[in-house]
Amino acid sequence: MILANGTVYETSEQNRLLDTLEQEIDRTRATLTLDPETVIRAVSVLRQRVLDGAFRDLIASFLTDSPDHYIQLAADFMDGDSLRYRMAREFGKEFAAEEHVTPPYGVSGATVRFMPLGTLFHIAAGNMDGLPAFSVLEGLLTGNVNVLKLPQADNGLTVEIFRQLIAIEPTLAPFIYVFDTPSSDVTAMRRMAEMSDGIVVWGGDGAVSAVRALAPTGAKLIEWGHKLGFAYISGYENKEAELQALADHILESRQLLCSSCQTVYLDTERMDDVRAFCREFLPYLDQAARNYPIREVGAVAEMTLRRYTERLERAIGGQDANDGRETFRGNTVSLTACPDSELELSYMYGNPLVKRLPQKDLLPTLRRAKGTLQTAGLLCPPDRRAALSDLLARAGVDRIMRAGHMSVTFCGEAHDGEYPLRRYTRVVNMED
Amino acid sequence: MGSRLQLFRLKKPFETERSNKLFLRALRENCAYHYTHCPEYKQILDEARFAPEDLKEYADIARIPPIPTLFFKRHHVYSMPRRRTLIRATSSGTSGQFSDIRFDTGGLWAGLWMVLTVAKQRRLLSPRPCHYIVMGYRPHRSNKTAIAKTAYGYTLFAPALSRTFALKYADGKYSPDLDGIVNAIVKHSRSRFPTRFIGFPAYTWFVMKRMEERGISVKLPEHSIIMLGGGWKQFYREQVDKREFYEMAERILGVPEDHIVEAFGAAEHPILYCDCPHHHFHVPVYSRVIIRDVHTLEPVENGKVGLVNLLTPMVKATPIQSIMTDDLGILHDASECPCGIPAPWLEIIGRVGLKDIKTCAAGAGDILTAAVAETDKEGKA
Repeated sequence: MILANGTVYETSEQNRLLDTLEQEIDRTRATLTLDPETVIRAVSVLRQRVLDGAFRDLIASFLTDSPDHYIQLAADFMDGDSLRYRMAREFGKEFAAEEHVTPPYGVSGATVRFMPLGTLFHIAAGNMDGLPAFSVLEGLLTGNVNVLKLPQADNGLTVEIFRQLIAIEPTLAPFIYVFDTPSSDVTAMRRMAEMSDGIVVWGGDGAVSAVRALAPTGAKLIEWGHKLGFAYISGYENKEAELQALADHILESRQLLCSSCQTVYLDTERMDDVRAFCREFLPYLDQAARNYPIREVGAVAEMTLRRYTERLERAIGGQDANDGRETFRGNTVSLTACPDSELELSYMYGNPLVKRLPQKDLLPTLRRAKGTLQTAGLLCPPDRRAALSDLLARAGVDRIMRAGHMSVTFCGEAHDGEYPLRRYTRVVNMED
Repeated sequence: MGSRLQLFRLKKPFETERSNKLFLRALRENCAYHYTHCPEYKQILDEARFAPEDLKEYADIARIPPIPTLFFKRHHVYSMPRRRTLIRATSSGTSGQFSDIRFDTGGLWAGLWMVLTVAKQRRLLSPRPCHYIVMGYRPHRSNKTAIAKTAYGYTLFAPALSRTFALKYADGKYSPDLDGIVNAIVKHSRSRFPTRFIGFPAYTWFVMKRMEERGISVKLPEHSIIMLGGGWKQFYREQVDKREFYEMAERILGVPEDHIVEAFGAAEHPILYCDCPHHHFHVPVYSRVIIRDVHTLEPVENGKVGLVNLLTPMVKATPIQSIMTDDLGILHDASECPCGIPAPWLEIIGRVGLKDIKTCAAGAGDILTAAVAETDKEGKA
């Protein structure tokens, strides 16, 4: 299904639509302006429908858990005041408001204002639900024309959201184009990329490099890549509560999110401390597994099999089968004490890695992981929080959160170290 | 006679528990053989601090480190020099990787006894000639998959009047010829002799669907049999409810439910599992099933879901005596099936996989993509 300028078309119409798409978009961009307040008002109406359960079945169809939590997250995001707060946070003033400046040299006066980048081509990897719609909403807030390539796994939710949004506010129609082009149709994707000023890509290294290959020179690439989260422990404020909060976060997020804790770093040089921590932390993790039972048996089994096979492979390779690692098993969870200090993906589903990382090595070690750094959950005494947060930030970490809040998002926060709405805009200067 | 042959010559294939002692002895001999002749197997056992002598009691069989089928796909390991192995069978390839399992003469001999015993028990051996419709590959020198060989082997249970293959080999690849099969079925329905269907259940399903669409239904002669095997593979998503399948076979082909026999085996565990009249897979004397916890790989009790670990002392050429499949299954107590067979039965409920997980953790997405690609390719292999 394709949604173009407010009309739904069959997939087979794709190439015919693409033939005239650039002209159509050019016309929109030359004559129409999308006011953020128009978008915010329409989204607020849609939000109420979401809360009233309009999309409940579609949302439930891709979730294993209850959709309520997810619906609440969506409602928080779509709230009118939240959106206004975000805009103000990111732009520091009213978006599209002109500001007059009198610079110290060059010209005597100029007008400065934010403008949309132009046309955004959104490519969302299929594995995060609702993401394609959020990406386009951000593009709309900043006044862009949006071309979205749906992920293969989309279940019709995205098109339905925009169909309803356009019904609420018909002036949005020429700013929204949704195609269900498969990733294998490189020709069509390249055509979409070529008419775009910015390409927004969400996904892992594979998705990002594929998009780089088809992006025309001159298009701005806005990459939201995959990241690795970790916890850093250098003492405690309230030990038991913090350890339980960290364990709960690990199980609740299944270690599947960018911000999920994969590796627990301890501020120590001694392996004995690492092992002692594993023994101490394991009961907390077991408790968390009872609080947030894991139901994804197939996925857990796959990870267990991979881990076991790798072990046998090390054995026949004459290497230490455990790679110098020691695993501490709980009922359904485990902790693996590792002798190295690299930031690395865990076996997920409640199986974090535990490593040494004394403060003096923190910056040089984490700096090497710069492409994947994002969130750190910091556990430490209150009087050292400021200094350690600063050290983590200097090393390249963008979010420094408390143990249990690693995956909590808040309104107006930066995304991977940047204000996303700003990336979808440009600053225009006009001489008086 | 060695313990292995004794085991495979047992007359009652489902007196499984009564054969525990013999099974243990055969497995110990087999384990010792692989330990001495396969250096990689020795390394694996040594690392796990397990030696063949540790197989003292029957319960010890769970301590043998199971080798995942994934391992056999990445590493081709043998316990016999190539010249002493008689035939090889490869499992369907995943992303260019496939297991290459070799068989020794003694193992094949044991296998022959097994097939005859099980086929006899399920009344598949018959002197009455029949037409075969094979929902699989026509054997070709380029195709060494176990499934092609097994399917062909099944056409030897009763004298063949004709063999029609659903997957035709042309221009270097296999493609399904459903209409050719439909025509053959219509022709055979007028024959005096019964028809036997063999192979992938999904293809049989598609053939029946095609017949239904075209408004064709036939009444195949009495003694016609549908033998299903080979797994659902890429058709997991379209996996049909078994009841619906039986109902359709009766309606479209005129084959009653008790003439539908399901069997499975794998290159890495070449034991013929044949279902009982209630369509349950009871564990035959030649094989043991241990269901393992998906987190810890420890054995779980009957009735619980886990990874399926299969054991057999059948083969000496390749160390496949304890393998871990990538299937998820449940072992049920014998008493949970009304058929009276005294052996527990194995239910396969799915496959390991990351297909439905959603992640944005760096690297996890790539594991997911690779896993999904493997599954897809396997389906197409």
